[in-house]
Amino acid sequence: MALLEVKNLDVRFAVRGGDLTALRGISFNLDKGERLGLVGESGAGKSVAAFSILNLVAQPGYIAGGQILFKGKDLAAMSERELRKIRGNQIAMIFQDPMMTLNPVLTIGTQMVEAILAHRKISKKEARDIALDRLQKVQIPSPEKRLDQYPHELSGGMRQRVIIAIALLLEPELIVADEPTTALDVTIQAEIMDLLLNLCEQENVALMLITHDLGVVSQVTRRMLVMYSGRIIEQGPTRDIINNAQHPYTRGLISALPQMGSPGARLFQIPGSMPSLKNVPAGCPFHPRCEFATEQCRGAMPEYVHSGNVDVACFEVAHRIEQETRMQEAES
Amino acid sequence: MTTSPLVSIRGLEKRFDLSGSLLEQITFSGGRFHRKQEAVHAINGVDLDVQKGEALCVVGESGCGKSTLARTVMGLISPSVGEIHYQDHRIDNLERKESLPYRRKMQMVFQNPYASLNPRMTIQQTLEEPIRFHHPDWPAIEVRNKIHEVMESVGIDRDWGSRFGHEFSGGQRQRIAIARALSVDPEFIVADEPISALDVSIQAQVLNLLMDAQESRGLTYLFITHDLAVVEHFGTRVAVMYLGRVCELADTKTLFSTPRHPYTQALLSAIPKLEDDRPNHIRLKGEVPTPVNLPSGCVFHGRCPHANDRCRRQIPELIVTDGGNQVACHAVEEGRL
Repeated sequence: MALLEVKNLDVRFAVRGGDLTALRGISFNLDKGERLGLVGESGAGKSVAAFSILNLVAQPGYIAGGQILFKGKDLAAMSERELRKIRGNQIAMIFQDPMMTLNPVLTIGTQMVEAILAHRKISKKEARDIALDRLQKVQIPSPEKRLDQYPHELSGGMRQRVIIAIALLLEPELIVADEPTTALDVTIQAEIMDLLLNLCEQENVALMLITHDLGVVSQVTRRMLVMYSGRIIEQGPTRDIINNAQHPYTRGLISALPQMGSPGARLFQIPGSMPSLKNVPAGCPFHPRCEFATEQCRGAMPEYVHSGNVDVACFEVAHRIEQETRMQEAES
Repeated sequence: MTTSPLVSIRGLEKRFDLSGSLLEQITFSGGRFHRKQEAVHAINGVDLDVQKGEALCVVGESGCGKSTLARTVMGLISPSVGEIHYQDHRIDNLERKESLPYRRKMQMVFQNPYASLNPRMTIQQTLEEPIRFHHPDWPAIEVRNKIHEVMESVGIDRDWGSRFGHEFSGGQRQRIAIARALSVDPEFIVADEPISALDVSIQAQVLNLLMDAQESRGLTYLFITHDLAVVEHFGTRVAVMYLGRVCELADTKTLFSTPRHPYTQALLSAIPKLEDDRPNHIRLKGEVPTPVNLPSGCVFHGRCPHANDRCRRQIPELIVTDGGNQVACHAVEEGRL
């Protein structure tokens, strides 16, 4: 059984003038100890996806349908009380901005001990020892001293290390990390990603990494999902997608990276921008920006087709696969 | 280099005072008064020449002084020590009126297009303002033609003129900000992280736009960024900054194929690449020190794997290596690296 199984998840936002659909039929699995990347640009719905896994979507957002099975139990149908036992305990979350996550008026030690005591019946002294152990694990210099410091006394990279230490406090089985290094400099980002990757491997923790950086995804994850306008448009092994993307959007996103172009030449560009939730185009949401768009794309939403190990939602890819199989049949 | 540079930065230093007024600086302890002065040393001796027609990229991590450099060049803040020259005229000490012709020739594009467009102005007004300011004698029709010309060249619709900034996405706003900079026909554009607030597919659009404008209008860029991947694509030359000093300066191709300074090497190795299966970066010790108390000698020595006694004592100057890079590093100079 997969550790996390998301089935046909729909998330909507109730606003004046009707509901806006933020996630449409999201389905994916995550095994124990697996590392999964979730990629997309702003507005694709990747943060909503991360929040809804913990059933944390705030008003006016709500889960309109589907299941989020964590070890077989549906988080979407659980009460707040039951959820509280899982959040921070079995599933931990790391957010983008470490300064917003830490309480500025409490010391690091107090915040860590508080989180442990919320879930475990142990003494404060024991909790403090656990906190110290985790700070050592994330390789913070002089961890003893840090316990009594306030967040503002630490640098950005150090704060994110503290956040990772807090995520590891209760030995979770899944860490959901939403753009954990976006606010950091490249050299610090590399160190934090390296640390997160090593810890997940050592402790056999599953990681769901939400990011817009395809480079980070290829370094850290083994499988990835690409989201566009609230839908997963491509999913499969990271290597397969990075080396040979199928969906025109994924292909465009990869070719638009400066490291893919030859220096000084014009970059490949996808025209237009991601549609807002208020006016998602009918049919395939990518069709107004897609060079292969046909009548069919404007009329209907494409279903997923298998192309090797990769699942893609695109009519163009479906036609190509159909043609290839027909050719093979004709040959034999 | 035979031709004189378009913009020349000479011996630039910029300090921001932290200690406040005289009364705040004075403390009484041990029976005596002490005066304590503290300052952020944002730029500590930078010499750079920007040649006509090139795109000089300045790269570095937060706190290295790259934005301060951009603002000082534009005259938004004045240097503590040093001079800025534009075509051999000193411009950092001019009176307001004298500086006007240079302000027309030098324009700036900022990082955050949500903050750099006035929310109460229509796009038409936003684009008109600099033209009316610098060419008060132009008739309305000429102003309008100019606006239409820049709108077309950055790929925005004429109908947008009557709309407000908040109606547009980040990429569209950055186009408007670029159109505003182009509207007075500048020669030199300082772009401070113009694409870092944008999505990947939009970044490509804006970069292409900047490159097209450079070609069709013969622009010169000073391009400030933290993203080395963009630099490789866009820059003619690259200056790498660390704690207010230039540690390496080279042609883009040379810098990316043979980086010499240990910091440049670490920075390049930290870019997450698509072909990587794991992070494989050069590990540096510790973190960037505070620019309030600068380290002695080479500012990078505390984190450098090759630092020796000399690095801790003596500040390295830029020297030209065989490969054509200019590197400020004792280890490179001594042939240890």
